Amino acid sequence: MELVIKKSKIKDWLEVLEKDFKIIDARKEVLPPKQHFFPVKEDLFSFNLKSKKLKTIDQSENILLIISSLNKLEAMTQLDEIMEKPQKDFFYWQKRDKSVIVGIVDKSIKVPYGGDLVLEKINQKEYRTWVLNSKGRKLLKDKFFKKVLKPRIINYSKEPSPLKKMLLDSELLAEAVEWSWQSDHKIWEKLAGKCLGCGICTYLCPLCHCFSIEDQVSLDNSKCFRCRQWDACTLPKFSQVAGGPASPSQGGHNFHKTIKERYYNWYYHKFVRAYREYGKAQCVACGACAKNCPAGIKIGNVLKEIVKDYKKR
Amino acid sequence: MKNIYKPFKVEIVKIEDHSKDTKLFRLQKEKGNFSVNDQGLVSHPGQFVLISNFGYGEAPFGIASSPFEARYIDIVVRRVGCLTKALHQLKKGDQLFLRGPYGNGFPVDFMSGKDVIMVTGGCGIPPIAALTEYIIEKKWKFGRVYLIYGARTPADLLMKDNLEKWNKDIKVILTVDQPDKNWKGYVGLVSKIVKEIKVDPLDAVAAMCGPGPMIDALEHILRPLGISDRRIFVNMERKMQCGVGKCQHCTVGDKFVCQDGPVFNYDQIDKAWD
Repeated sequence: MELVIKKSKIKDWLEVLEKDFKIIDARKEVLPPKQHFFPVKEDLFSFNLKSKKLKTIDQSENILLIISSLNKLEAMTQLDEIMEKPQKDFFYWQKRDKSVIVGIVDKSIKVPYGGDLVLEKINQKEYRTWVLNSKGRKLLKDKFFKKVLKPRIINYSKEPSPLKKMLLDSELLAEAVEWSWQSDHKIWEKLAGKCLGCGICTYLCPLCHCFSIEDQVSLDNSKCFRCRQWDACTLPKFSQVAGGPASPSQGGHNFHKTIKERYYNWYYHKFVRAYREYGKAQCVACGACAKNCPAGIKIGNVLKEIVKDYKKR
Repeated sequence: MKNIYKPFKVEIVKIEDHSKDTKLFRLQKEKGNFSVNDQGLVSHPGQFVLISNFGYGEAPFGIASSPFEARYIDIVVRRVGCLTKALHQLKKGDQLFLRGPYGNGFPVDFMSGKDVIMVTGGCGIPPIAALTEYIIEKKWKFGRVYLIYGARTPADLLMKDNLEKWNKDIKVILTVDQPDKNWKGYVGLVSKIVKEIKVDPLDAVAAMCGPGPMIDALEHILRPLGISDRRIFVNMERKMQCGVGKCQHCTVGDKFVCQDGPVFNYDQIDKAWD
């Protein structure tokens, strides 16, 4: 028995849900879904410079987020886990707690690794339903979802990408990436020459989550907003502090001076540290970084080369 | 849900000039004392707080006051960037905001019962000051205790009143790179200092802060004394934005300096850490 919704009814169903939720269709968005709970830039606090009053900015919203990619659904599950440890990130969960994630996926699904409710395309006209939790169950409306004993199921599955297959062995990836740095593998020098250090890969990654916090003061000097914005570990100032041995013109001591160190650090975090912290790599093989890298670096190819040499060592 | 980013208000009750570019700020809560744990400690020696000066930002500072002192927290601030410049312009009675204490602190339970050598330089004194205060308060728990403190010139030595006070309970050894004519202490981190230190290398621990003195101290003092890397604890500095293991700025290898540190066993850290 399957719970099925007609493709033509999805729009009507969402219209009914619009009473309770702000519906965001992220299916065609360039930036990853993380942006709706961890925005590119957000105000955390407002501070009145005259009265010295500090106010937390309430950004809680009932969002219903629609995602079409299975990889990005999986990324949201991982990001939830990251934002929960070691303590809950207040501003992320302020939005995430009240929101629901719906997957509308035009591919066949073996197991959905994310979302609260996932609709899987089974033929040109119908989607079947995967209910992942009670949040997802609450979205079901009898008017639109019907129980069907044996619906017509067409297989839309695609062969997983080589990177996706490699991610199945996160342990091997962690070992190989760490080995490549310790053994001074030539690839890092080559990539340092290629990488522009623009940070686009980290912004488009559905799992990258580093940020910086800064204060912005209104022009009349009456109010200050403490904002958090996305940062990128490949940017030159990511680990730079004021003072220290560097000359003032260089702005202070930099703990990650070269692009080689910074670019490796990105891989190290994703494949080594993440594996040690969470038991899996912080990559879902969505391909966004490879597709958008202005220097044409393909993370999958980099890992393939490292793993190949690691096995040969 | 607790807002881990929200600081609380504190008042500057005292400002002291400690060198031409360094000041000590004494911070008090609006009402009442700072909360203490079941051991009566406001913080573990070596922990840090994040200080906000709204309009200029937030940054981590090591706690310099005694961990047993609940009425106030002292921080020592060198003027190096935008936030610290703004802090230096504040006056007694002005307000700041504070989060923390954060981090692990020195492993005082492991250190107790042993001889202790503390080594620091310049503005690396605050966490070592907190540790010194802890050790003096619990003097019966520790063996012979030394503090080796270096600075560029005698005028750059910070917390001078404390150094004199501590010298009654522990041995304080001062050294500078460029002495003036009144200077009676050592010049440079020299091997001669080793002769003043009488510890049992198998039952001694070292605590350090700051990258500069670390290498010199290792070479000239701790190695000749025969102290193993496993018994050396270093308080590290990194850029930090959140202080609570989220923003990723302070990571080194698989460690977060804010959460796993700032105190690391020298054996535990990659020797390439600067």
